[in-house]
Amino acid sequence: MQTKKEFRKRDFFYLLPLWLLSLIVPDADDLYSYRSKEFKRRELYYLGTVLLLPLIWSDPHFHHLMVLAGIYAILALGLSLFLGYAGQISLGHAAFFGIGAYTTAILTTRYAFPTFLTFWASAATAATAAFLIGKPILKLKGYFLALATLGFGEIFLVIVQETQTLTGGVIGIFGIPWFSIAGFSFDTYLKQYYLIWGVLLGLFLFSKNLVRSKLGRASLAVAVSEDAAKSVGIDVAQIKIKVFVMSAAFAGFAGSLFACIMSTANPEAFSLGFSTLIVMMVILGGMGNLYGPIFGSILLTYLMDVLGRYQEWSLPIYGVILILLLIFFPDGIGTRFGIRLIYLIGYWAKKKKRDEGKL
Amino acid sequence: MSLLLVDEITKEYDGVRALDRISLEVEKGTIKGLMGPNGAGKSTLFHLISGMEKPDSGKIYFKGKEITSLEPNEIAALGVGRTFQTVQTLGNMTVVENIMTGMHLRLKGGLISSGLWLPWIKRTEKEALKEAKEILDRLGLLGRWKSPASQLPLGKQKLLEIGRAFAMKPDLILLDEPASGLTPAEVEQLSERICQLKKDGVTLFVVEHHMGMVMEIADEVVVLDRGKLIAQGPPDVVRGDSKVVEAYMKGKRLNNYR
Amino acid sequence: MVTWSSIPQLLSSGITIGAIYALVALGFVTITRASQIINFAQGEFVMLGGVITFFLLKGLNLPYFLAGLIAIIIVVMIGFLLQVSVIYPLQKASVLILIIATLGASIFLSSTSALVFGTLPKALPPFSGEQPIQIGELTIVPQSVWVLGATFLLLIVLYLLSHRTLLGKAMEATSTDPLGADLLGISRNLMVFLAFGVSAGIGAFAGILITPIYFTSYNSGTLLGLKGFIAAVLGGWGKNSGAILGGFVLGIVESLSVVFIPSGYKDGVAFAILLLILYFRPKGILGSPFIDSRRW
Repeated sequence: MQTKKEFRKRDFFYLLPLWLLSLIVPDADDLYSYRSKEFKRRELYYLGTVLLLPLIWSDPHFHHLMVLAGIYAILALGLSLFLGYAGQISLGHAAFFGIGAYTTAILTTRYAFPTFLTFWASAATAATAAFLIGKPILKLKGYFLALATLGFGEIFLVIVQETQTLTGGVIGIFGIPWFSIAGFSFDTYLKQYYLIWGVLLGLFLFSKNLVRSKLGRASLAVAVSEDAAKSVGIDVAQIKIKVFVMSAAFAGFAGSLFACIMSTANPEAFSLGFSTLIVMMVILGGMGNLYGPIFGSILLTYLMDVLGRYQEWSLPIYGVILILLLIFFPDGIGTRFGIRLIYLIGYWAKKKKRDEGKL
Repeated sequence: MSLLLVDEITKEYDGVRALDRISLEVEKGTIKGLMGPNGAGKSTLFHLISGMEKPDSGKIYFKGKEITSLEPNEIAALGVGRTFQTVQTLGNMTVVENIMTGMHLRLKGGLISSGLWLPWIKRTEKEALKEAKEILDRLGLLGRWKSPASQLPLGKQKLLEIGRAFAMKPDLILLDEPASGLTPAEVEQLSERICQLKKDGVTLFVVEHHMGMVMEIADEVVVLDRGKLIAQGPPDVVRGDSKVVEAYMKGKRLNNYR
Repeated sequence: MVTWSSIPQLLSSGITIGAIYALVALGFVTITRASQIINFAQGEFVMLGGVITFFLLKGLNLPYFLAGLIAIIIVVMIGFLLQVSVIYPLQKASVLILIIATLGASIFLSSTSALVFGTLPKALPPFSGEQPIQIGELTIVPQSVWVLGATFLLLIVLYLLSHRTLLGKAMEATSTDPLGADLLGISRNLMVFLAFGVSAGIGAFAGILITPIYFTSYNSGTLLGLKGFIAAVLGGWGKNSGAILGGFVLGIVESLSVVFIPSGYKDGVAFAILLLILYFRPKGILGSPFIDSRRW
């Protein structure tokens, strides 16, 4: 009898945080609540956390990680519109990220453009590239679309590496200035944090509006049934292109910020491996909602950081974790179910240990 | 004037004639039934009318305009809605959003303006939501307006798909086997809704196997068999036509030979 | 810029690398025919073939032939392992997830290779001597002859296996008509399992053939795999003959491209061809049993 009581107390300690977490973490199944105003309170919690966290925890490494996570989140957010909402595949988004980064790099270092301008120019070039490449490619589906986007990504890398005079080739471009607006320069991690998460917030709201609108519904329709979409007058090809261009613009914004943060731009960062990583962020976070990619980017940025300590073991472990995550969380961790599952696994493991201890 | 005119349509697949010089008309404000045993070419005809496939020869006219070579979404824009044999509800959205998707052509909103949620977008969306809910109410689906569409039972999903087509405010709706998979009670409900649609001014062209339902709601029936049009006319007349009986019975007759 | 007179030379090296692309492409098609899956880790099988043989040869001092044989067997085991641990659990997953999973496997294999065998490029000794053969203006390395010869030999063996043995016929059946084969009692999973093994074996074989000419290192698999895939699409997706034809065509075109464009862009040629093919003729040169306008 005593054992049963003990269990209850301990269970409570496990279940309470789980319950709290499930209050905070968005549930991908809760469709309409996202796309409506009824979600406001939870979102204020998130907003508050995002705003206050770096002030509470002032470790510069943490700030640095969150800066990176924020950039990747912008990238993943855009990609999730294309991947999760429109239901397509892209393995080449690192190229748009790269186009954005190089646009900013070239314009600031060679032509002394202000970073505020290059921010928009980067998105514009990335969007243009997406428009040009999208028209022919988006007629494809499934594996072939994946392959075509992959091909585009590789061609981008080859071009960057070969056009030495423009892009600095394999070495890249150095000396990109800090991002600055009207003289105010974002030179510390803390300032960069607010800059990037501010941009993310803006783009997030923009995305939310998009998803709630006629374009959002059209994209979702295209993802489920192109025939049904056509039958209500939706121009499927046009929708795909619009979403593709939009996601590339986001990548362009992210690339621009990335260039300013890292102050260098070189081709290594824009490989197929990186495209895979971003897609993974979208999948991991859960493809059904807009918080997913943000969640996924924070998670994976941290994972990368942790793995980095293992040097040459980092990639093999990364490969294994990737596969395991796909097998066990194909719908993403960023759902209530995912969080519960992790917790339950941990709980069950500890319970087993306790049982064995008792015996 | 006929709303829809099909003129000598022929379609072949790998040498098999799915449709052989089919001609028919659908008058505005009527319900026309399209029947025939399996493989007769009914769904093929719908695919051709709605633009999903192109005929090998012949022409199709809608409201006097030739639509033979138009894309499905262009044909939809002219006022043709349709449902599908395997119901294509948009399961990743809520019930009401399915209807609102049907209103796509009637709503305003570009990429940037939607993203910025400009005041007129807000207004349009609000009105759309209101109208969508009204449509759901008439279909008896209002209670579940916020649920994901995938959670509805099949009968209600079929109604939802019809609602989506109706939301386009089309002149013509092509219904592809709306009654398949439904219980008798649901078929009753469906018939009522279809008649209601007719009262709302929509012309309907219905492919259906369910004889009872077709006989009840159709003003005229067309029967296909193996790509050829074998009978046309009011339901009672067609039902008694010997060619029609033979087409449907041939399956049974083979059985008797055992 | 390279001159026109070097065309015969370029042609011969193009045919040599083309044979390798053909083998890699064949590996892709084997798996796809059995399972509709595209294995992005295919290139790693090639890499591992070369790298493991090197290790067995130089590290354990095994005779060349034995080293090669054991390496192939090991890579086949790895192929089986891949199917069981990654593909089988994900059989119901979406296309996107399968793609990322095989990419993940590719990352795992290449980085583990770097970990275990080091990052330095490995070169294997040529099969029969280093003295290049002169035919007129053409200089051919004996290894190239081996590559072509062995490739054709393998193709004949594979053809015989798939058409003369029961198992081979079962695999063919599964590719042509999965449902029918299933109803006949042919276990789909077993066929996919075997397909992975066969693919891995072909890949490893190709790796051993090519390493004496071009070095192999932990990261050469990825690019090779992609090019092999492109070759398969180019020749006619889903057809064995398409894979082979595509391989040679890609090899030759890529090799000859340096006459027209700066050599640094050579790797991009394959991808440019890919985009062109996907846009103008996704079926590939010989047409494809898989591509039907609605599905792809």
